[in-house]
Amino acid sequence: MIAPTIECDVAVIVKEAIEKHGAARDALIPILSEINHALGYIPAEAFQEVCKQLNAQEEHTYVSKSQLFSLASFYDMLCTKPRGRHVIKFCENAPCHVVGAKAVWDSLCEALDLQNGETTPDKKWTLVTTSCLGLCSVGPVVLIDDDLHGNVTPDQIDEILARYE
Amino acid sequence: MQTKRAMILVSNDPESIRLGANDLIKNLTEALTAYDLQNEVEISTLSNIGTSNILPLVVVYPEATVYGPVKAADARFLVEEHLYKGRIATDLVAPPKQLSGNIGWLRAHKGYNPAEQRIVLERAGRIDPENIEEFIAENGYQALGKALSEMTPEQVIETIEKSGLQGRGGAGFPTGRKWKFVRMAKGEKKYVICNADESEPGTFKDRIVLEGDPHTILEAMTIAGYALGADEGYIYIRGEYGLAYRRLQHAIEQAEEYGFLGNNIFNTDFNFHIHLHAGAGAYVCGEETALIESIEGKRGEPRARPPYPVTHGLWNKPTLVNNVETLANIPAIIRNGAEWYRSFGTPSSPGTKVYTIMGNVNFSGVIEVPMGITLREVINIYAKGMKPGSMLRIAQTGGSSGSIIPASLQDTPMDFESFRKAGVSLGSGALLICDQNTCIVDLVKVLLQFFRFESCGKCTPCRVGTQRAYEIVERISQGKGKLEELDVLISLAQEMERTSNCGLGQTAAVPIRDMLKHFRTETEAHILLGSCPAGKCEMLPEVEHV
Amino acid sequence: MVQITINGKQIEVPEGTTVLRAAEMAGIYIPRLCDHKELTPYGGCRLCIVEVQGVRVPMASCTLPVNNGMVINTETEALKKSRKFVLSMLFSERNHFCPFCQVSGGDCELQNAAYDEQMTHWPIQPGWNNFVVDTSHPYLVLDNNRCILCRRCVRACAEMAGSFTLSVAERGAKSMVVADTDVPLGESTCIKCGSCVQVCPTGAIIDRTSAYQMHDKDLTEVKSICNGCSVGCSVKIMVRDNRIVRIEGDWEGSVNHGVLCEYGRYNSINETRKRITTPMMKKNGKLEPVSWDDALKAVTEKLRPLASDKDGIAAIASTRLSAEALTAFKDLFAGCELVTSLEEGMPTAATSQFAQRQGAFEGKLDVLRHADTVLCCGANVGRTHMVAGFLFKRNMTKGTRLINIDPEENELDALANLSLKPKAGSDLALIRGLQAIIVKEGLGRSPLTVPKADTLIQMAVNETGISMEQLTQTARILANSITPVILFGKGITAQRDERLVEELYKLAVLVGAVDNERSGLLSIKGETNSLTAALLGLDQVFQLNGQKAVYVAVGDDYVSRSLVERASRAPYLVVQASYESKLTEQADVVLPVTIWSEQEGHYINLDGRVRKTTKVVTSPETAHDNLTVLSDLAKQMNISLDSNWRQAILARKSSLALN
Repeated sequence: MIAPTIECDVAVIVKEAIEKHGAARDALIPILSEINHALGYIPAEAFQEVCKQLNAQEEHTYVSKSQLFSLASFYDMLCTKPRGRHVIKFCENAPCHVVGAKAVWDSLCEALDLQNGETTPDKKWTLVTTSCLGLCSVGPVVLIDDDLHGNVTPDQIDEILARYE
Repeated sequence: MQTKRAMILVSNDPESIRLGANDLIKNLTEALTAYDLQNEVEISTLSNIGTSNILPLVVVYPEATVYGPVKAADARFLVEEHLYKGRIATDLVAPPKQLSGNIGWLRAHKGYNPAEQRIVLERAGRIDPENIEEFIAENGYQALGKALSEMTPEQVIETIEKSGLQGRGGAGFPTGRKWKFVRMAKGEKKYVICNADESEPGTFKDRIVLEGDPHTILEAMTIAGYALGADEGYIYIRGEYGLAYRRLQHAIEQAEEYGFLGNNIFNTDFNFHIHLHAGAGAYVCGEETALIESIEGKRGEPRARPPYPVTHGLWNKPTLVNNVETLANIPAIIRNGAEWYRSFGTPSSPGTKVYTIMGNVNFSGVIEVPMGITLREVINIYAKGMKPGSMLRIAQTGGSSGSIIPASLQDTPMDFESFRKAGVSLGSGALLICDQNTCIVDLVKVLLQFFRFESCGKCTPCRVGTQRAYEIVERISQGKGKLEELDVLISLAQEMERTSNCGLGQTAAVPIRDMLKHFRTETEAHILLGSCPAGKCEMLPEVEHV
Repeated sequence: MVQITINGKQIEVPEGTTVLRAAEMAGIYIPRLCDHKELTPYGGCRLCIVEVQGVRVPMASCTLPVNNGMVINTETEALKKSRKFVLSMLFSERNHFCPFCQVSGGDCELQNAAYDEQMTHWPIQPGWNNFVVDTSHPYLVLDNNRCILCRRCVRACAEMAGSFTLSVAERGAKSMVVADTDVPLGESTCIKCGSCVQVCPTGAIIDRTSAYQMHDKDLTEVKSICNGCSVGCSVKIMVRDNRIVRIEGDWEGSVNHGVLCEYGRYNSINETRKRITTPMMKKNGKLEPVSWDDALKAVTEKLRPLASDKDGIAAIASTRLSAEALTAFKDLFAGCELVTSLEEGMPTAATSQFAQRQGAFEGKLDVLRHADTVLCCGANVGRTHMVAGFLFKRNMTKGTRLINIDPEENELDALANLSLKPKAGSDLALIRGLQAIIVKEGLGRSPLTVPKADTLIQMAVNETGISMEQLTQTARILANSITPVILFGKGITAQRDERLVEELYKLAVLVGAVDNERSGLLSIKGETNSLTAALLGLDQVFQLNGQKAVYVAVGDDYVSRSLVERASRAPYLVVQASYESKLTEQADVVLPVTIWSEQEGHYINLDGRVRKTTKVVTSPETAHDNLTVLSDLAKQMNISLDSNWRQAILARKSSLALN
């Protein structure tokens, strides 16, 4: 998914994100989100690139890479470390919990041999918990990449995981 | 179970029985048999409907027509007209004004739960959200036109104020007053922000509005802009709501194309622009000052208040922050007037409330009902009862920041005032219904896990308090707690409520408080007996010391 | 003014004051941890909560502005309980086992606050995370285990130093202080100013060099002025047993308000050069120790016959010398023509010359604090005079723009909105070109006209090698600013060319940087006393012209290769110095002198503030004060040094007002 010429990619991604969202301060989070979406995470050089390109814009939005890193690490949807090809987000909040999420989580952990926040050695899967996704009427909810799986039971896990390359 | 075509609910409170409700039920049953409808129509009872002078009361679903008072002798006529011939028995219909009690004026939309009153969700699901013309055909942008051409900004604010609309984000602050503050605040530049960062666990009502009726929000924000003297607005939508984002984006483009947004709206000199801003995953950004910080490209740490956003908000300019549900009420109020709005709900909490229902019930989803109905009604009527074998034990009202109540409080009317009196929070309107298999300690542990994960870390009481409280509750759930730790928990909760910088830390204390207020015995059982009465918690084995 | 009542005491305070500051004015101390008077209030620690009549919950007093009629209580039982709660939360959060911490026992604000609240134990069982201790930095240790997340360091890094290196990563209980993108501090963009360590209330950031060397109460604190450059920051020097343990920025300092740069805080006491401890004379091509009497006698014998010959002696002094010493130096060699300082033909000379025609035209450093655009012309405040740079860099996240003009690559390039790299020697054309564009586009704020604008613009493009687009952009940014400041230094030829200063002045007038109200034109000058040297006229180029002897009063300064080359051409070389160098190796006589911390005297910083430094430690007996050496020589040479330095500096017009 991540091309070998990452520096080149990053510059282009940042440029396109700035064209889309502008270069003012209110574009910072949207720009970081675009990078995260394109690369699956935000590499250190991307922060530097955002600083550089924003500073060169007419708005002269001066921001340091530490400020951007701080920002990215605050928000749950942004990631500063590489993740697996597929990211499994598991809702750990009360509405899913009371309808049996714990058993589904245990089954997920067992199937993948992962703990919360870990990535499989083959870089295929990353398993994380997340806060409520607003899909409580079909809990327990598992979000794999952009695919929603609702009303999940522990015995469905193997079958669901098998759908991903 | 055989599906019935219709359902008749008859009030059977003591007053109704005194006035002949039992005879009425008997006659209705006979009439159904007479018309051979006994397999198609079910009769059930309806209790606790509040005071009314139209008893006994009959509600027929799916139309949710309310009849009253209905005498036993009217039974045959009612069955014949409504259920056999399929038309409303007009003579018996209850006058709507009479019924502003618990259930209110009931009217149903096809395809939805019975007995809903839809203002906020009026169009959601009925119109094509990506087609502005369908919105316009359903009175869309009529309120904006009315406000711009017939009303002064002051009149708009006055109408909202008179309607008694209160913020639906959880705090219940009077919306009209908030608007007035922003209107009065000094400054050329002002902003309107729609808080669509719906992240309260169990809450997805705003998503339904945003996905199903995005133009309503644009219309409401533009009206607000006109009333406050603002020309720019932001919709801060949580990052996870991809579909809602795309629909809003599309709606904004359409509205601009049709001249409902942009410059010279309705050929007046009023201009209004809306930016769509996606969040990136932080519950705390639902707090209005954290939300503003987030728009400004910062960590979502709530600001110190005062000053409040109404005077020092986005980019330090006067700013209105209203929740999606609050805004969705605005166009209807402008169209129909404050008096009309006040005919719903209770005098102190007018209007409707959108609830999301989930947990161990037969129906999970979203409903919009007048303020003031009870939890029992929600469960029995709207959620179609508890799941087979389930019994109501614990309910959580208002998401993680709401209250945890025992079954004994299920008859408290759900409106701001009654809940406040009972020490319960209405919160975001998420209703999590839990049965006898739910352990309070386990539930509170999950809630505290949420709070410690979502605490922004700015202030000490919340950052450390949520963490320490989680650890104590986790120990209790593992059978390793100590009795004196319950006192520590209580004082922790008290001080977190007193000293935290924002609502997150303050409400994180609520589940702890409720656990020890309503479910102390069960909690102590974990400690004293080393076992979980609900059989939910996994007890850690004793470590043997060698 | 606003009337408020705190603990029953009625006081009047200015509008906008926070409750915490108002209480201070009333003599009431409210405990606090995240608050710091030089930093923007944060409201995070919640220790400073107070009760306000009519408000349900306690409020953080550090962020709460006073309101007329406000009634505040700071000492109720409930508040005391809440403060204990906040403290017990902090103690339970991370590793706050005091006995092992370097600040324990008086220097830790957390520990002190706990003692103030009579805390004896932690009521809550801790359950902390472990963080890796970062020891990668040469001066600091960053230990998140002892951090209370008050963000003082993050704020100081941004709001004082304008470095924006430190930030808080993650959120909630996982929050931690990191540098850049969570790289080791020693490998980060840290500029090593040490502001973070100075504000840290606990042992989370500690100073490596002074750690575990007694508590602050056992150190003597001496206030003085930093000797590093012409900015002249106020310092607090912490001394013990005639040794400087640590230097801190003086919060009361009018120039720096507590902030220092790497030089001021660390380099000035991390001396690696070898100290000269005895007078020496060259015998058989080798320097041999001699007595002070012999050394002075030898120098006098050689110099006395030359002292009244205008080409007899060439003398050059460091501008790290005090005003007193520089005046004595000037008097001592009054009979000779080539008497100058290390500012020779460099900073300040052209500025000073222009001032003789124009009068005072330079602004004060404070204009940098309020600048919305700063044009740095050969003024690399990213490397030297760094504190002047801090004054505007800290505002760059709030929209202050930086345009950097320098023929060379420099540290400011990475920050600048625009970096112009004119070809060497094309500065004059560049500045004239900018003027011409502004006039041509009708953006000028003064009626100044520029004849033949098009020609000048074309010349600028041709000579500088900078594109028309960049020039126009620069001109527009400058002209559209409300409070522009032009800062110039030795990186462009301005310092050598009076005409260029004049053109910069015209540009400044044109863009409204200089008007009747304020002057936003400022030269950063050179070393500590460079302005004094300029006022004394010690600014000619040090070009030998057959002089028979050279006298270098280098003091504790560094010497350039070029100076060594030029000075050693003389038949006889006397060097008055504190440290061994290539220059002292060449000398016929070496006179050992005191260093900055061992002497006192007056200094005039780059914006005209006249201040006195303090002697903080005693020198080795054999090293004499610079002024003493010059006076002793004068006595032996029968030259009277009766000029008063205060009078002497008035001989020339100053480029800015002295105060």
